[in-house]
Amino acid sequence: MKFLVCLKQVPDSTVRVKVGGDRRSIAAEGITWSISPYDEYAIELALERKDADASTVVSVVTVGPARSRDALRQALAMGCDDATLVTSEADLSALDVAKALAAVVNEAKPDVVLCGKQASDDDQGLVGPALAEALGWPHVGMLTKLVPGASGLELWREVEGGHEVWSAAPPVVALVHKSEKEPRYPSLPGIMKAKRKEIPEKDLASCGVTPGAPRPEVALMDLPPQRGQGKVWKLDGDAKGVAEQVAKALREEAKVV
Amino acid sequence: MTAPTQGLWALVLLVLTLAAFGAAGWRIARLYRLLRLGAAESRIDHPWRRLGDELLIYLGQRKLLKRPYRVRGVGHALIFWGFLAITWSSADMLLRGILGWRMPFTDTVWYAWLVDVFAVAVLAAVAVAWVRRAAFRPPRMHVVTEGYVILGLIGFLMLTLLLFESAAVATVRAELVELVLPPVTPPVAGLVAVVLPPGSAPAIFAGAWWAHIATVLAFAAWLPRTKHLHIVTTVFNVGLKKETPRGALRLIPDIENQESFGAATLRDFSWKDLLDSYTCTECGRCSDSCPALATGKPLDPQKIVLDIRGQLLREGPRLLADAKAETTPPAHWVQAKPEEVWACTTCAACVEACPVTIEHIDKIVDQRRYLALMEGAAPPEAQRAMTNIERAGNPWGEPRAARGDWAAGLGVPTIAEKPDAEYLYFVGCAGSYDRRNQRVARALVTILRAAGVSFAVLGVEETCNGDPARRMGNEYLWQLQARQNIETFDGHGVRKVITACPHCFNTIANEFPQLGGRYEVTHALPLVRRLIAERRITLRDGGHEVVAYHDPCYLGRHNGIYDEPREVLDALPGVERREIEPHHRERGFCCGAGGARMWMEEKIGQRVNYRRVEQLMQADPDATKVASGCPYCLIMLDEGVGAKGIAEQVQPVDVLELVAARLVETAPAQGG
Repeated sequence: MKFLVCLKQVPDSTVRVKVGGDRRSIAAEGITWSISPYDEYAIELALERKDADASTVVSVVTVGPARSRDALRQALAMGCDDATLVTSEADLSALDVAKALAAVVNEAKPDVVLCGKQASDDDQGLVGPALAEALGWPHVGMLTKLVPGASGLELWREVEGGHEVWSAAPPVVALVHKSEKEPRYPSLPGIMKAKRKEIPEKDLASCGVTPGAPRPEVALMDLPPQRGQGKVWKLDGDAKGVAEQVAKALREEAKVV
Repeated sequence: MTAPTQGLWALVLLVLTLAAFGAAGWRIARLYRLLRLGAAESRIDHPWRRLGDELLIYLGQRKLLKRPYRVRGVGHALIFWGFLAITWSSADMLLRGILGWRMPFTDTVWYAWLVDVFAVAVLAAVAVAWVRRAAFRPPRMHVVTEGYVILGLIGFLMLTLLLFESAAVATVRAELVELVLPPVTPPVAGLVAVVLPPGSAPAIFAGAWWAHIATVLAFAAWLPRTKHLHIVTTVFNVGLKKETPRGALRLIPDIENQESFGAATLRDFSWKDLLDSYTCTECGRCSDSCPALATGKPLDPQKIVLDIRGQLLREGPRLLADAKAETTPPAHWVQAKPEEVWACTTCAACVEACPVTIEHIDKIVDQRRYLALMEGAAPPEAQRAMTNIERAGNPWGEPRAARGDWAAGLGVPTIAEKPDAEYLYFVGCAGSYDRRNQRVARALVTILRAAGVSFAVLGVEETCNGDPARRMGNEYLWQLQARQNIETFDGHGVRKVITACPHCFNTIANEFPQLGGRYEVTHALPLVRRLIAERRITLRDGGHEVVAYHDPCYLGRHNGIYDEPREVLDALPGVERREIEPHHRERGFCCGAGGARMWMEEKIGQRVNYRRVEQLMQADPDATKVASGCPYCLIMLDEGVGAKGIAEQVQPVDVLELVAARLVETAPAQGG
């Protein structure tokens, strides 16, 4: 079975993000970039299939600026077989990204396309469904487990308080919420092998995409206000006395009751 | 008296001797060939230190005579020294019996005394050892029949020795009395000689002599097939022990061009690891002192060593026959899975306890290296910590940009701002990010300023030195982190480094030199001790406090810093220092966080830090504080007293905090 995992390179979750000078985007300097966490889960799910059946092929693709190559290397180091980079230095709309990915999918002809359910930078969650739409493939969201089943694939989805098991015959697009195991840490031979692997590059034109699909614009970006210091009271007395003092403080100082 | 080997008997003795030594030699040659299956490793640095070790550890039995085994150690030392004295006389008997030659000194009265005294001492020690195994078996000890047989043989050797010596004394008594002034006959032999039936002496002499020498030869032939081979292998094991700092793990050179990493099979271990396995006497002292084993983890350091030996003897011959033959993973992987090797805190209690200088930690970390680098198979929490180090430069995954936040408002200069600072204060990840340890970092700043020490920090340029990664087996990540720090240090011309973290200290002082980073590194406590001694800081009475000192493993056992922290505590007015006996100094008990256990969940057995807090409460129930010099220990002890519900009663602190609280600010804040 052939898997294609679509990933996005995002600021690592350990980075303290700063707002850029235009107040509509984040400041680019000093950022450590990594694979978006849900995409890492998607890679892990696909690689688990490869662990179970060595004939499985796992490819990865991303649409993004040249630095995204590092994210693809990381995926290769984890054990993916090949990677494709669709370069676009410009910030694209989700629909344009989906169209570019659809071109790669049509060429690679995977049985299953996996995406993280949303990227951790803008949290829009648009690319996956848009890609399914562009391909005309069925789409399953909130995937947590993927196993071969009687009629193709068993797709486990997380739902409130439990899970559902869907079955699907490839081809299918599935959006990953989590994997049972944490995304694997690459082995050192894996890292070294990934360093030597060729990563073919395409541009939007070769995918037949002219950017310009409708997109929302960011009006203003701001950090949450700094939280003030907490206050510690040392209260003595019986429960009633303490409760009275707390109530008084809540009413007069915090003005919340 | 001449040896009872007239005529053909000398030939019989010669044949027996050749047969015995031939059998022993054949076996030893085979063991040596098996040893050569191990990977190459050079162990010829520091020749004088090696000689010193032979004198102190092998001949001097230094490690056997340590707490808490001192009494038992004396028993072993007596048998060993007796063995040396009596082997000399065995050699004399063989030489005399075959060729009629003598070993030097063997015809002196003092030597006769020596043999006599040792024979009795050995006999007594053997009896005690026998009874102990049979009736009061220590739980750690792996008692096998072989041990009894060996003890029996040694005892029999001593009895026959005394008997033929006595017979000799009885035969030549008159002659002796004339030669040497009375009453100088060898004491025991002289006493026994009195009760021997008159006239029977020559026959008894011959019988006991032959019984003795036959036993010696049988022993020699059999020895290399028993764990008592350690009599021989210990000479080499001690002489070839690691002479680099104990806390420094082996470097994997040219790591980017290697194809396999760590140890999964026999061939991956170094020949020294295999020699260690031959040398193990199965005494169990390592198991006895292991905090993981003591708290119910699947790790047993003795088993790690014995599994290697078992596998070597089982599979080695096949590997010798076929250089390409596949080997199986270490036996303990099959039984307990890699959980054993992940349970180790690298606290070095086993290494410290081992009388024959076996190096357990390297074997365990080599196996972790295989798992982490080849299989990418570290526990998930460990993987998370490694990813965090890679991406954020600290195992907690806190923002890189927040590294200097702990010093907000303190005005601590970075080395870029103060390039002429004498010391670089390497804060470390805990001091930078952990709220509790940020207070320790601030305390150190206060002390350094009060003493007028010129220092600066790296600020956001600092990144994890990689200690947790290296201890998790991720040598590659360690090298990346270490190289990055070395580059930063060298870029700023750093020469002297202070750190309040024993793990940072160990890595920068002992491991950075492997990658070319050589600095004068000091842990804060020895420095503060010096500042106190030089009266550069003044301390006032902080009120009476009972403070127990907890030895951090990477300060104490790994780096031998036991006294300085205690001297600092003793210099603090009002502080009454206590020891967590008997688990203190060399026998200190790990907090549970070393060996990167800090970043792994502890799901099996009792938590090591809970056990440590129990030990504290047992030893010093009236302590109000427990002080250490390590951020991990502080976190673990804090958590431990919290879980035990005694946080109100005994408060974990860093020694530096106690010092800072007693500072008299005499000089205006300078430096820093």
